[in-house]
Amino acid sequence: MLATVFTKAILDRWRGMAIGAASLAALLLFAMAVYRQIDLSIYTDLPEAFLTLVGIPEDADVASLAYNAIYNSYGSLAMGGLVIAMGAAAIAGEERKGTMAMLLGNPVSRTHVLVSKAAAMLLLVALGGLVLWAAGVAAPELLEVSVTGIHIGAFTVHLVGSTLFYGLLALAIGSWTGRSGMAAGTTAGVMVLSFFAVGIFPLVEGWEDLAKAFPWYYYSGSEPLLNGIHWGHLAALAAGSIVLFLIALLGVNRRDLRGPSTGVTLMDRLRTSPLTAGIANRLAGSARVSRIWVKTASEYQGLLFVVAALMFGVMGVLIGPIYNAIGEAVISLGEGFPEAMLALFGGGDLSTPEGYYQLESFGLMAPVAVMVVTITIGARALAGEEENRTMSLLLANPIPRSRVVVEKTLTMVLYALTVGFATFAGVTVGSWIGGLGMDVGNIAATSVLAVLIGLVFGALAMLLSAATGVVRFAIFVPVGAALIFHVMNAIGELNDAAWADWSPFHYYLGSDPLTNGMPWGHGALLAALVVLLLALAVPAFQRRDLRQVS
Amino acid sequence: MTDQFAIRAEGLTKHYGALHALVDLNLDVRLGEVFGFLGPNGAGKTTTIRTLMDEIRPTAGQASILGMDSHVKSVEIRRHIGYLPDDLALYPNLTGRDTLTYFANLRGGVDWGYVDRLAERLGADLSKKVGDLSSGNRQKVGVIQAFMNHPQVLIMDEPSAGLDPLVQREFQAMMREVAAEGRSVFLSSHILSEVQRVADRVGIIRQGRLIALESVSSLRSKATRQVELEFGSPVDRAVFEGVPGIRGVTVEDRRALLSYDGKMEALLKAVTERYDVVDITTQEADLEEIFLTYYRDDQATV
Repeated sequence: MLATVFTKAILDRWRGMAIGAASLAALLLFAMAVYRQIDLSIYTDLPEAFLTLVGIPEDADVASLAYNAIYNSYGSLAMGGLVIAMGAAAIAGEERKGTMAMLLGNPVSRTHVLVSKAAAMLLLVALGGLVLWAAGVAAPELLEVSVTGIHIGAFTVHLVGSTLFYGLLALAIGSWTGRSGMAAGTTAGVMVLSFFAVGIFPLVEGWEDLAKAFPWYYYSGSEPLLNGIHWGHLAALAAGSIVLFLIALLGVNRRDLRGPSTGVTLMDRLRTSPLTAGIANRLAGSARVSRIWVKTASEYQGLLFVVAALMFGVMGVLIGPIYNAIGEAVISLGEGFPEAMLALFGGGDLSTPEGYYQLESFGLMAPVAVMVVTITIGARALAGEEENRTMSLLLANPIPRSRVVVEKTLTMVLYALTVGFATFAGVTVGSWIGGLGMDVGNIAATSVLAVLIGLVFGALAMLLSAATGVVRFAIFVPVGAALIFHVMNAIGELNDAAWADWSPFHYYLGSDPLTNGMPWGHGALLAALVVLLLALAVPAFQRRDLRQVS
Repeated sequence: MTDQFAIRAEGLTKHYGALHALVDLNLDVRLGEVFGFLGPNGAGKTTTIRTLMDEIRPTAGQASILGMDSHVKSVEIRRHIGYLPDDLALYPNLTGRDTLTYFANLRGGVDWGYVDRLAERLGADLSKKVGDLSSGNRQKVGVIQAFMNHPQVLIMDEPSAGLDPLVQREFQAMMREVAAEGRSVFLSSHILSEVQRVADRVGIIRQGRLIALESVSSLRSKATRQVELEFGSPVDRAVFEGVPGIRGVTVEDRRALLSYDGKMEALLKAVTERYDVVDITTQEADLEEIFLTYYRDDQATV
C-alpha cells in the first residue's frame, strides 16, 4: 500500500476523513430523530428574512431542518477543516518535517508528487461526500421521516466541489510558499470569512451582490438542497479549483525547496539591526525564555493575535453597526419567535440587540474562538513537547513535572482570558457604535462564561495531553466532545429535554446571561469542572512514562 | 551525597508488555571515572538512561544517583546532573544562546563565562537559530547545555552523533577533564573506539542484559585484531603455527590474513625470521566481534 505517493497520502489521511464523515452521519441521525418528535408548525410561520439568516428553507420539514443544522454549517466547516489540513500538509507540511527531500531523492518529479497528493485529496473528499450522501439518504428511511423536495445528492455535489476548492487553495499557498502554517491559516480565514459574508451580506440592502465575491456563495448561494444542482455555480467552483491547481503546479516547480528550517520573522530582523537589537533581544530572547509559561505564551502569540483580533473586530465591533443596518428587518419579525428554536444557532431573541449578538457572536463563535486557543495549547503544551522530543531536555532541569503542567496551564488560562477580554471589548465598542445600549456588566459576564466553557474543553485537552502524550488524541477528543455536547444542548433545549442539563453548554448561555447577567451558580459549576480536569492532569502526567518518539 | 557511587543500578528491569527492554541490570559508576556504556542499537542503553532520568519508571529494581533514589529524589538529583539525550531535539525557533538561557533560568545560576569558553572550544555558534543549524552544530549546543552547570554527574546518550572528528577529540578531552576533577561521566555509545579512548571502565549491554563489566584495558586484550600482512615472496602458512593467539589464517600467495589477540612483537618475531615483511595493516575488532566473544563466554558459563 505504500507503493506510491498517492496511496501513502491516502493512508496518512483516510482516518480523519472517515471519523469526520461518520461523526457527521451520526449527528444527522441524532438531529433527525429529535426533530421528528417536536411540533414543526412553529417553523412554517416564521418570516422569510429570518429563515434566510439561519439557513432554513421556507417549507421546512424534519429532514431539511436536520440537513441544514448538521450538514450545512458543521458539515461543510468540518469537511473544509479536514481538507485544508490535507492541502497544507501535502507539500509544505512535508517540507517542514524535512521528509520532502527524501521523497524527492527518489526518481519522482515534483509534478508527480503534487498530482498524486491532489488526486488523493480528490478521492478522499469524494468518499467523504459519498458517506454523507448515503447517510442523508438512509437517515429518513431508518427513522421513517418523509422527505419531499430535498436534493441531497445535489447538495453533496456542491459540498464536495466547495470543499475541494478550499483544499486546493491550501495546497496552492503551501506549494507556492512552502509554509504549511500560512497555508492552513490563510485558507481557514478565507473559508470562515466567506461563510459569514454569505450569511450577512444578502441581508444588507444594497450589499447583496457582495456575497458573490466569496467562494461560499457558489456552494450555498443557490440552496442546492432545495433547488438541485446549480451548474453555473459548480462550474465556477471547478474553474477556480483548476486555476488553483495550476498555480500549485507552477509554484512547487519554480522555487527552492525549504529545508526543515524556521524562516525569518520580523523579530529576527529587528534582532540583527544594530538600532533595534537591544530591545528586540530582550523581547525575543532573554524575556521570552525567562519562564516556562512565558516561553509557551510566545509560541502561541500568533494564534492568539489572530483569534483575539477576529473576536474583537468582526464578531464584536462589526456586529453592532450591522444590527443597526438590518435591525429593522430583524425586529419586524415580531414576537412570534419560539425562543427554544433558536437554541441550535446559539439561542437569543432576535428582536433585541442582545439576542442578535448572542446569535452572531456568543452562540457559536465565542466558545469556538476560546477553544481554538485553549485546545491548541492544552493538547500541544505537554504532548507537543513530547512528540517534538524536547520534553526530556526540559525535564532534565531540576523542576518537578507538576510545575511544567502548572505553568503551561497558566498560559492557557491567560490566553483564554485574553480572547474573552477581546470579545468583551469588541462587543462593548460595537454596542456603543451601534447605539444599542447593552449592559456592559452583562457583556462581561457572558464573556467570562465563554472563557469558562472554552477552558472546560481546553482542560480536557490538557488532561488527555498529560495522560497520553499523544497530540492528535488530545485534540480530537475535546473537539468531538464539544461538538456533541453543543448539539446535545441545542437540540435538548429545543425539545425541553432534561438531558440538556448534562451538557456543559447549558451552563454557558442556558440562563441568557447577556440579558439576565451573571448566573453565579452556572459560572461556579463550569469553573469547578475546569479545576477538576486540571487537577487530574497533574498526577496523570507525574505517574506515567514519557513517550519515546523517534 | 553520602554514597561513594555516582550511579548505582540494582536489579533494574523494564518491560513493555512482552518486550523485555531491560532485565535485572546491576551496575555502578564510581566518582571520578568515565563509564562507557556500550551496546548495539536497541540493546537497552537509552531505556537505562531514561530510567535514570525518571522519564520512565522501572518495572522492578531501582537506581540511585549520588545516593538518591532516581524516582523519589528526581528533582534534587537533576540539580547535580547534566544530561544529553539520544537523538537530541531542541526548540527550532530559539537561538543557541536563547536555548541555554532558558535552561539556565530553569536551573538558576549559570556561569556564562564558562559557557562562552565551552562554545569557543567546540566552535559553536550560539547566535543562530537552532532550527537553522546542521545536526552537528545543534549537538554542540546540547553538549554545552549538559556541561554548563558543572554537574557532578554527566549522563550522555550517543553524544558524538554528528560531531566532526576534531570536535569529537575536544569533546573527549572535556570528558576526561570532568573525570579528573572527581566528577563522573556516564557515556552511552555504540562506537567501540570512542569508549576505548575515554572510558575507564566499560559495561556491555546486549538485549537488555549487562553481559560484561570490564576495565578498558581488559576489554582491549579481548579485542581480537584483524591483521593483514604483505610479504616480499610467497608465504607458507606453517610459519604462523605455534604463535599463541592466532586464529583463522588465510594465505594467498604473498598475503596473509589472520585474527590475532596477542602482543604484536611475538607475531612479528615469528614471521620476520623467515620472510621479508613489506606491509602490515591491522584493524580493530568491531563491536559485534567483541559481543560475540562475550556471548560465547556467556553461553559457556551457563
